Amino acid sequence: MSAAKRQSARRPIRWTSRLLDSLTVLLSLLWLFPLVVSLWMSFRPQFASADSSALLLGLFTLDNYYDAWRISPWGTHYVNTLIFVVGTLLVQLVTVTLAAYAFARLRFPGRDLLLLLVLAQLMIPSTVLLAQNFVTIRNLGLYDSHIAMMMPYFGSAFGTLLLRQAFRSVPYELEEAARVDGANVWQVLRHVYVPLSVPSYVAFSLVSISSHWNEFLWPLIVTQSESVRPLTVGLNKLVQSSEVGALYNQQMAGTILVIAPLVLLFMRWQKQFIESFAQSGIK
Amino acid sequence: MPLRRLTPYLFVAPTLAFIVLFTLYPATQTLVTSLYQPARRASGEPTFIGLQNFVNLFNPSHFIGADFVIIFGNTLIFALVTVILSVPLALVFALLLNRKIQALGLWRFAIFYPALLPMLGAASLWAFIFADSIGVAASILGFFGLANPNWLGDPNLALFSVTLVNVWKQSGYLMIFYLAGLQAIPRDIYEAAAIEGANGWQQLRFLTLPLLRRTTLFVLVVTFLFAFQTVEHLPALGSGGPGVRSNLILYYIYQKIPERLNWGYVNAMTTVLISIVLTFTLLNMAFFERKGVEDERG
Amino acid sequence: MANRTFRLLPLAASALLLLGVAQAQGAVTIDFYFPEATANNAQAIFEEYAAKFNEKFPNITINVAYQGSYTDNRVKIQTELAAGAGPDVAVMLTTDLFSFIEADTIVPAQQFIDQMEDGEAFVANFFPAFLANSLDEEGTVWAIPFQRSTPVLYYNADLLEAAGLSVPRNQDELRAVAKALTTPERHGLWLPSEGFPIWLFSAAAIANGQNLSSTDPCEVTFATDAAQAALDYWLSLPAEGVMPAGLLSWGDAPQLFIDGKAAMIAHTTGSLTRILNNAPFKVGVAFLPFGPADENGEGYGAPTGGGNLYMFKNSSPEEQAAAWEWIKFLASDEIQADWGARTGYVAATLGAWETEPLASLVKEKPQYAVARDQLAHADKEFSAFRTIDLQGIINTALSDIISGGAPNDGTRLKVAQEQIDGLLAEFCQ
Repeated sequence: MSAAKRQSARRPIRWTSRLLDSLTVLLSLLWLFPLVVSLWMSFRPQFASADSSALLLGLFTLDNYYDAWRISPWGTHYVNTLIFVVGTLLVQLVTVTLAAYAFARLRFPGRDLLLLLVLAQLMIPSTVLLAQNFVTIRNLGLYDSHIAMMMPYFGSAFGTLLLRQAFRSVPYELEEAARVDGANVWQVLRHVYVPLSVPSYVAFSLVSISSHWNEFLWPLIVTQSESVRPLTVGLNKLVQSSEVGALYNQQMAGTILVIAPLVLLFMRWQKQFIESFAQSGIK
Repeated sequence: MPLRRLTPYLFVAPTLAFIVLFTLYPATQTLVTSLYQPARRASGEPTFIGLQNFVNLFNPSHFIGADFVIIFGNTLIFALVTVILSVPLALVFALLLNRKIQALGLWRFAIFYPALLPMLGAASLWAFIFADSIGVAASILGFFGLANPNWLGDPNLALFSVTLVNVWKQSGYLMIFYLAGLQAIPRDIYEAAAIEGANGWQQLRFLTLPLLRRTTLFVLVVTFLFAFQTVEHLPALGSGGPGVRSNLILYYIYQKIPERLNWGYVNAMTTVLISIVLTFTLLNMAFFERKGVEDERG
Repeated sequence: MANRTFRLLPLAASALLLLGVAQAQGAVTIDFYFPEATANNAQAIFEEYAAKFNEKFPNITINVAYQGSYTDNRVKIQTELAAGAGPDVAVMLTTDLFSFIEADTIVPAQQFIDQMEDGEAFVANFFPAFLANSLDEEGTVWAIPFQRSTPVLYYNADLLEAAGLSVPRNQDELRAVAKALTTPERHGLWLPSEGFPIWLFSAAAIANGQNLSSTDPCEVTFATDAAQAALDYWLSLPAEGVMPAGLLSWGDAPQLFIDGKAAMIAHTTGSLTRILNNAPFKVGVAFLPFGPADENGEGYGAPTGGGNLYMFKNSSPEEQAAAWEWIKFLASDEIQADWGARTGYVAATLGAWETEPLASLVKEKPQYAVARDQLAHADKEFSAFRTIDLQGIINTALSDIISGGAPNDGTRLKVAQEQIDGLLAEFCQ
């Protein structure tokens, strides 16, 4: 439709366009460089480092991956991270939907105060409350379990806010119409609010997944068995080298093992990811 | 009828319950215990000492205050510099990557992937970049005949180095918010402006930036909040040194927790940290919400 | 993998049976916490030991749990102890001793040693330099040496030989050798100072005649002539261009050495295996020569380091008895020899060095014996009341001076000493 018009408006500034393209590529490559370095290192023998004289090809090895793999039960770690991340998300989706609906569409005494209490979670870094929360988990008898890692995240202020915003932009007439047809609250949520807020759910899910995927200290503290511990604890065994010195190549191999699934996920869905952010009103 | 009235509370209850249990309750506990001094024996009762822990924290001749006043300043500098560098960078990235360009997905990934890295891995990667002689920066600088600075061991450079890593890690994440904001701006506004004769720079200055104001506010808050919570990279990057020259409050708290007798200080420091974040967020929210209300009306 | 599981099945079944029997006789499970799994796959090694132990003591099961860094490990233990739980045995830093004595949360090993028939021989089997960090001011043994280390000097023997230099035995020789081996591409010497300078610095202080702490946990001597002399020497190295200025990385040192970017480094014995296996040149290991020459031309001195085995008050008497069996097992010559050979830690018992596989390893690679022989010149690692805070004060002061953030005129040392005295005053009246 208006493509031709846009094209003509752009023509006089084509050279800037070229310039901006080059800038984009340049900056991207600059940012990408550390990842290239770490990939490169992860396949290089430990003691033929990035020294320019050692940039010889042909010296590639899988030893770092082998050594990294050997040091921890990574298969178990993958499963645990998946359980941790997906389990957290599933519970969050339920709690967040309910709270968001109440804050967006229901009127009740104390609403603003309760919302403020929820918001407190955004402002108080959970990392500083580790010790107290550890005691709580122990008292609940949940120590050393998947649920112990997940539980503090079951309530999400970020998700509640995000979906509250999404629900508020759903035309109220739709809910009224559904009500007239005899729908109850659950049906209204299921058939009106949730389907119309998919982008927000996607955006929230991705934020939730990527932040919990890399969570380290809390899972370390509330668990002690390898059978429930996530990927980051495995990585920590490689990174934790206070006495004998840094094993960079193994650490890079470990890092790649940890992020590979996330990276593939992002590569595959990056367009949808950004679009859902755009539509979700995180802006 | 009573059930109907209860509904909103029932809906809010699960979220609130978990937040109370894992955020509000421990935060209150922290506040209370920050007024106590732990007993010498683990089984003994702590002593109430009022605000003495806070007084010591800000007393530069006390052993903890000597460190803390510097670390307090470091933390503010770290947060501010992170915001000042990464927010404009994120905007530039978003503007560049919201254009039509070949292999767009690759470039977006190139900027965004640091956000996907676990801090532990990112930190050891940067430790290698910063390393003397064997490191990446040393090789590159050496290629141009330049000396490699002691990134983490120079007292005037260390805080900047750890901030740099944070900027690298955050700006791609923040870019996503800007990209989302840009995509929400209707195309025809630009066409109209172009017809009026506005050039690219003018469009950016008078259309895009004002329309991104809400995004910018959001991004500012997020970056600032994150900056106070980001410390997992410090152990691999000089452990907050030299001395405490690149140390940050949250990491210092973690360094002090192992000594049980410091738990009063630890809780006082936590209270200070929460207070900074809270003050900042409330100020912002006052601003944010008012703007939000206006926007919704308009 | 499946194959292995299959083979283990009957074993597991009989173990279950045994467990049933053991239950009747009072089966005990011991929670064993350890930090630092670095590169050795310590988890697997400990599980192997636990299985071996379980053959000997079928009614005691060892629950082996990796707990992150030494710091993570200690945070967790403290928090658990405060909540009335905690492990039965843990590897913690040797320097954690006085904090836990003060808090009244650990049990002295002495009370179990006293019940042994050969208790004295058991204690005498440990190197005195290692045992020093297990003792309180009255000489009671609280913890048992286990994963111990000490810093040594690594030198590129090929370079020394080519230049016709002999191995440095005191501070002047060290500086001279470093100077001779410095080139634009290579540092003559690399003394790591980042993060935890107190450890290597103690070596210099000991070699200059006064350690920073003593057997009395109330006595910390930082602003001394020995410390000042050590600092003056340290700063003379970058001033003469044989070492870069500023704080130097600990973690990068082995690689710098292996890659030929540093002719000599000071580092832990824990790095020996990695350096020997990877260096493309002849590796020499020597005593740390940070002190002025004595009448023999020697200026040696070093602290010990690493972790000890601790037992806790929260455990029941049965658990404590079982924990003691596990500790004795880990401290036996057989396990110490195996552990030392596989991890690079310095075997803590005299007998271990006569035991395989360590005995033949030392014969084959004499470099392994240097750390052991240096123990004759070694003193205890810094330890006193509130060790973590005192170390923090000292590390910060040393970092400030070495990095050039504070002048080296004695004022910074005095400030630190005042902070130290203020902190100790609460405990030592």
